[in-house]
Amino acid sequence: MPSLSSEERQQLNDSLQEMLSDKYPFEHWKKLARAPGGEGFGRSEWKQFAEMGWLGVAMPEEAGGLGGGMTELGIVLAAAGRSILLEPFLGTIVLGAGAIELAGNAKQREMLGQIASGDVLLAFCHSEPDSGYARDYVKTVATKDGSGYSLTGEKTFALHAHAADFLVVSARIGSETGPLGLFLVPRTANGVSILPAPALDGRQGAAVRLAAVKVDGASRLGDSENDLMPVVDRVIDRGVIAACAEAVGAMAAVTDQTVEYLKTRQQFGQPLSKFQVLQHRLVDMSVSTEEARAIVHAALQALDDGAPDAQQMVWMAKVKTAQSARFVGGQGIQLHGGMGMTDELSIGHYYKRLTMCETLFGDGEWYLRQLSGNQRAA
Amino acid sequence: MFIRTVEHDTSLDNFRAEVRAFCERELPEVVKRKQATGQHLEKQEYDQWLKRLGSKGWLTGKWPKAHGGLGWAPAQHLAFLEELGRAGAPPLLSFGPTMAGPVIYTFGNDEQKKQHLPGIIKNDVWWCQGYSEPGAGSDLASLKTRADRDGDHYVVNGQKIWTSMAHWADWIFALVRTDQKAKKQEGISFLLIDMKTPGITVRPIIGITLGHHLNEVFFDNVRVPISNRIGEENKGWTYAKFLLANERVGNVDIVKLEANIDQIRALVAETREGGKALSDDPMVKRRMAELEVGLATVKALLADQLAAARQDGAPSLMGAAALKLRGTELQQAILQTGLDVLGRHGMVYQRDALEAGWNGEILGPTASAELIYEHLYRRAATIYGGSSEVQKNIIAKGALGL
Repeated sequence: MPSLSSEERQQLNDSLQEMLSDKYPFEHWKKLARAPGGEGFGRSEWKQFAEMGWLGVAMPEEAGGLGGGMTELGIVLAAAGRSILLEPFLGTIVLGAGAIELAGNAKQREMLGQIASGDVLLAFCHSEPDSGYARDYVKTVATKDGSGYSLTGEKTFALHAHAADFLVVSARIGSETGPLGLFLVPRTANGVSILPAPALDGRQGAAVRLAAVKVDGASRLGDSENDLMPVVDRVIDRGVIAACAEAVGAMAAVTDQTVEYLKTRQQFGQPLSKFQVLQHRLVDMSVSTEEARAIVHAALQALDDGAPDAQQMVWMAKVKTAQSARFVGGQGIQLHGGMGMTDELSIGHYYKRLTMCETLFGDGEWYLRQLSGNQRAA
Repeated sequence: MFIRTVEHDTSLDNFRAEVRAFCERELPEVVKRKQATGQHLEKQEYDQWLKRLGSKGWLTGKWPKAHGGLGWAPAQHLAFLEELGRAGAPPLLSFGPTMAGPVIYTFGNDEQKKQHLPGIIKNDVWWCQGYSEPGAGSDLASLKTRADRDGDHYVVNGQKIWTSMAHWADWIFALVRTDQKAKKQEGISFLLIDMKTPGITVRPIIGITLGHHLNEVFFDNVRVPISNRIGEENKGWTYAKFLLANERVGNVDIVKLEANIDQIRALVAETREGGKALSDDPMVKRRMAELEVGLATVKALLADQLAAARQDGAPSLMGAAALKLRGTELQQAILQTGLDVLGRHGMVYQRDALEAGWNGEILGPTASAELIYEHLYRRAATIYGGSSEVQKNIIAKGALGL
């Protein structure tokens, strides 16, 4: 897999930090998230990110990308987490672009350039009301309809589905037991019902209902009706590790902010940071963040290397990151006391984002369950 | 389990039947409907119901008869709470019956008892709590709101924060500094202040729930009759601690915990994973069992403290600390379990669905918004009423002599 040099990664990281701390402070987050009648994220911000090269970081250079891999994508997502960005990174450049990259034919892959340039937004609509975290439970059906297909089914809430140009929809071809296909469905197509709602962390999205939605044959990713479950599996693994990277960025921010707060907050005649019990708590937050960072990095590397145990590494990273996120996010509020409970401070918003990262595509317990049935031979 | 054993007591069976019948008859339709969907109550809806309970004396049934209570034993109080929970009634408020009332009847004078207790018993008066300040959280005794004597009045200046329901309250009980020179715990007095007094401003704080429950309360030259002081001047810390022990016992709302567990069990039952019922999942079953063990333990701790309150006039500071510590941890564990299930439905938070008149479509399980609201709100359970860290300090010092 392609990847950038350490120097290039450093530059990428620096450019992210520099621009986001300048252009995307928490006040800006609030303005975007709470704009009356708004979409819950910034389209002009998204275009700026594209201009910085961040959206195409993991796309081939011929598609207008930087030619990086998952590790570079992880760098971008960690920065997104650090500033709890509202824009559709996950759905567009991780899941959507990932599906097109892994399953699309040459013509379909041309869309990667439009994604890198910020002109196309995607949402990944896969989960269904009875699927829970199971990845292979799809009841949406795509029946042949002339040279195209007719899609019918119901997808649960997906981030940014309310604003995406195309929904990447999974459906079984022919019948509920048919091979899994992936379809690029225009959000505004006839028969698509968008049910917009906010997620816990203030990002917007939608549940999607498809009632005999007609799409042409070229909307089906790939050139054959082969079962795309293995692709979906890989796409979701990318989503998992991206959510973990995002959580690592958010945890780093929470730990930094909490350390700073305890240094300034005076009680019992001294800063709270002087109490050993609280020092140890901050240390645990810091070490938990570091553990997650390390294993997420290792998993990103494994994906880039195409290592045979890459999936197992991703799942283990999710377990550890979920545990760390719950602890660090919760303690961020606890140690801020009442202030942590206010909408005014960012710390509660980090807690919410971390909760999302923790549960997206399966929580820690769910992956432990998968790993326990899938243990490495001694 | 503790409470269920008590159910065999026939005298309580009759009492339970009476409460059940009362709820069926008197619980207003609108309150019942809103409770069922998790919608927030308007003050007058809440008030109407509490007044009906108040007319029976049940809000303060655990108070001694001498002070207008019914002298209920702990088992009867718990049975009452359980029946309310089962009837789908909203939780009781503790500011009057659990906090202000016992301080007034234990440390107040006859005039004060006559003035304030009936209003609490009947719920004619809504109270709020003026304890925390921006600079006095865990270190409560460092509070700075001051009360200076001027003739037969105190003039109060300062600010309180995190004041739950101040926007609905008629009166506030407040800790104020009446001696600037004394050691911090020794210069505090306990005042009862009419919220309509000129100079009081209430400003809302929006929480991470996105709801309004908390407030800041500002005092700008607020004149309070000296006769509104409870007990002696500069002895307020003693009364404050007495109240805190009661508050911490009240923090553990066993009915709410039970209701949350039931709600989550229902949520699990309507959730499927890979098409299979999540309720058949051994790990989920184990988790629910663990919560039941926690609940049984906390119930037992609570019963001890209620018994102590009845026999000694107050729960023990140490026992209340232990109960509050574990009770709030359990509460967070229960609500976390709910969130873990909701992750499977996409973690949608339709906060507007909790407002009356909302007629959008609820995505996913009906209880989602209510459970997420509650989860977020109860992040504060280990902070309010004295943080878990403070409770541990109390036990370290008081119980272990460290």
